[in-house]
Amino acid sequence: MRVKLCALLAIATTVGLAAPPATAQGPVILKVAIVQQIDSMNPFLAVFQSSTEVGRLMYDYLTAYAADDQTVTEGIANRWEPSADKLTWTFTVPEGKKWSDGQPITARDVAFTYNLMLTDEVARTANGSFVTNFESVTATDDRTVVIKTKAPQVTMLALDIPIVPKHVWEKVTSIKDYANDQMPVVGSGPFVLTEHVAGQFIKLKANKNYWRGAAKYDELHFVYFQNSDAAVQALGKGEVDLINRMAPAQFDSLAGKDGVTRNKAQGRRFTELLINPGAQTRTGEPIGDGSPALKDVRVRRAIAQAVDLDALVQRVNLGYAEKGAGLVPPVFTKWHWQPSASELRKFDPAAANAALDAAGFPRKADGTRFGLRLVGRAGRAYDEQASEYLKRSMSDIGIPLDVRLVSDNQLNEVTTAATYDLAFSGWATNVDPDFILGLHTCGQRPGADGKGGTTDAYFCDQTYDRLYAQQLSEFDEGKRVEIVKQMQARFYDQVPAVVLAYDNALEGYRSDHFARFTTQPAQGGVIMAQNGMWGYYGAEPAQRAAQATGSRWPVIAIGGAALVVLVLAGVVLARRRQATAGERE
Amino acid sequence: MNRLTGFSRAGMAGAAILVVAALVALIAPLLISADALDVTRVTAAPWQTPGAQHWLGTDHTGRSVALLVVQGAGTSLFVGLTAAVLSVGIGTLVGIVSGHFGGLVAGALLRVTDFFLVLPALVLAIALSTVLPRGLGTIVLAIGLTSWPSTARMVRAQTLTIEARPFVERARALGGGHGHVIGRHVLPSVVPLVLVNTTLAVASSIVAESTLAFLGLGDPTRISWGAMLHQAQLHGAVPQRAWWFLLPPGLAIVVVVLAFTLVGRALEAVVTPKR
Repeated sequence: MRVKLCALLAIATTVGLAAPPATAQGPVILKVAIVQQIDSMNPFLAVFQSSTEVGRLMYDYLTAYAADDQTVTEGIANRWEPSADKLTWTFTVPEGKKWSDGQPITARDVAFTYNLMLTDEVARTANGSFVTNFESVTATDDRTVVIKTKAPQVTMLALDIPIVPKHVWEKVTSIKDYANDQMPVVGSGPFVLTEHVAGQFIKLKANKNYWRGAAKYDELHFVYFQNSDAAVQALGKGEVDLINRMAPAQFDSLAGKDGVTRNKAQGRRFTELLINPGAQTRTGEPIGDGSPALKDVRVRRAIAQAVDLDALVQRVNLGYAEKGAGLVPPVFTKWHWQPSASELRKFDPAAANAALDAAGFPRKADGTRFGLRLVGRAGRAYDEQASEYLKRSMSDIGIPLDVRLVSDNQLNEVTTAATYDLAFSGWATNVDPDFILGLHTCGQRPGADGKGGTTDAYFCDQTYDRLYAQQLSEFDEGKRVEIVKQMQARFYDQVPAVVLAYDNALEGYRSDHFARFTTQPAQGGVIMAQNGMWGYYGAEPAQRAAQATGSRWPVIAIGGAALVVLVLAGVVLARRRQATAGERE
Repeated sequence: MNRLTGFSRAGMAGAAILVVAALVALIAPLLISADALDVTRVTAAPWQTPGAQHWLGTDHTGRSVALLVVQGAGTSLFVGLTAAVLSVGIGTLVGIVSGHFGGLVAGALLRVTDFFLVLPALVLAIALSTVLPRGLGTIVLAIGLTSWPSTARMVRAQTLTIEARPFVERARALGGGHGHVIGRHVLPSVVPLVLVNTTLAVASSIVAESTLAFLGLGDPTRISWGAMLHQAQLHGAVPQRAWWFLLPPGLAIVVVVLAFTLVGRALEAVVTPKR
């Protein structure tokens, strides 16, 4: 017995030592942890933040936002010129920019992309709001795109639409069924998609043809994690180099860790609580099964009033957030709106109770008025915790909540099918508020088949739509800011959703692997989830020598583990021999 | 003599633990005020290490972990017991019916049993608890519906042995019907076996409940040991190195499951005849 064990041990040790040392000079890879699933790699259909983030790396937009101050800068086009009546815009695509397969990027690619969206309803799924006002898009030559709009449109320099290569996409017959997975995927951005295994990883290589110059490292990998806890662990151990959207507790736990740098940034995301206002399709057909009580704006106001936003920020966000109000987060100072003293809905359960009584929903004998369902995402710390608070708040005003935490895709299904009463949601906003405001117009509601729109909350309000159209053609910025604020006030007043908090973006990276990341804006900005790809593109690897030191550890660890297993096996066998026959089975 | 000592050593220890656990589960809800476990009402700081005020520290919201463990005992034991009773109930019914009647009925029932036997129980339970609305009932149902086949097989075997005995044949010859044979002869001989089986099934049901809750499939509104582990994992107890949030519910599961197993084994030694 003993002899055998020794022999085994000897073999294990030799195997461990004989393993070749890891090569230090492989490609430099930036590994990024992601938790959210990808809904589609097709840029016309991709709505999830994770998908648009990858989309930004693959495709440039017509214009871009500078890293340091988010002003409009060169994208596919480098010059632009509006006509005197602001109805015709001429963009110039300079010579020399190339797709990743070497074909030149021309104005015809731009015209093709926009025209595809104008002619194909499915192609408008993700970014339709940008082109609803377009009259025509034509490429007069390889360098010039002319866009005519029906009414003056202020967001012409903020068209967040990935421009796709015409020579690839003109062969696509059905946008709805096209997965965009012909690897490597031809693109114009700083990275080229080379491999995607759903739920496991996304691999991109630096685009050597990128017109700003190739990135300073070779490959960018997105690695899936089941939950952010595992991702935080992986960062701590150096398995990934960059993570974001950490929970406050996780962020705190990384304080003072060697080789890890934390980045607390003012985020451009907000978290909201959707209140189903009686969902209807674009044509006015009711869909879903939202509680009829919520059609009454007084009920929605009462619910909003019963939610203690301060407590949520303090206890659930642990202070890493700002209290919610309008649709535009405070990081965009110019457009951000705060309710005035008279507009402010102060947390007041007593007033909410009175309002519900007055609205015709008195408490029944058991103290309840009517029950509601609250849908959230299972595994998202915020939803699990905030739902406890909401449950308490709602039961205080006689509304028992049935909390349902479901998977990402299920949540998306429930919200698009409007089979919810209350639901957690959240959006990332852009530099120009048009997109986030446009989500709440009547036209964004889905068609009869439930497809073809990205409404957020099934909001449809004439006043709001009128203001939306107004701001879209207001070229005096001061006046436009005024209208945008009025819209937010209207939204706040009608409450199809309660903006709960503007989350701080909590990120962390391995500063021993990557020395520097470009943040946007330069001061207090984010690395991931930017209005651009600067964070990934501008990452600078640390000295390679620093990386090589860790390579022997896995060998030692494996050898050690084998040793432990063998010793344990030996002990168990030995004990089993000693054990009496009576104890065996 | 031998029987008694066999039971009294390990079995008595297990039984003692179970009595304590049951008492805790029954009395705790009466003593703990609802405010102490309501995340919106607690005032203590989160992630406190164990100390004089909070014996086992506090969780991510400032609730006392000791109180949570005590409160969770009720849910875990309740689900464990009801699921075990449900599972053993189905198993016994199927086993006796297929063993007694034989023929086509037995064939059909056994094929169903085989089907559930080869299906991975955890996967089936996860599928069930995803489809059905969230709640304690769903968890009980999911566990009960997936863990009965082994009981059915065993009870059927016992039924067949009993029915081959001469006294059953005599009862039949004297005109005893199906009801008489099952009720008077088969059931009494099967009951000890079923009892032992139930005790062991409780142990596995508690583990199954903890697994489902840990995976986030439990009733989100109830505190159970599995749910505590789920929350600890979700809210960063591991990166926080908050061992006091992870260990107590884990150890509680281990201890109670061990106790049920010890009692079950001891009972088994008592009821099964010596080989």
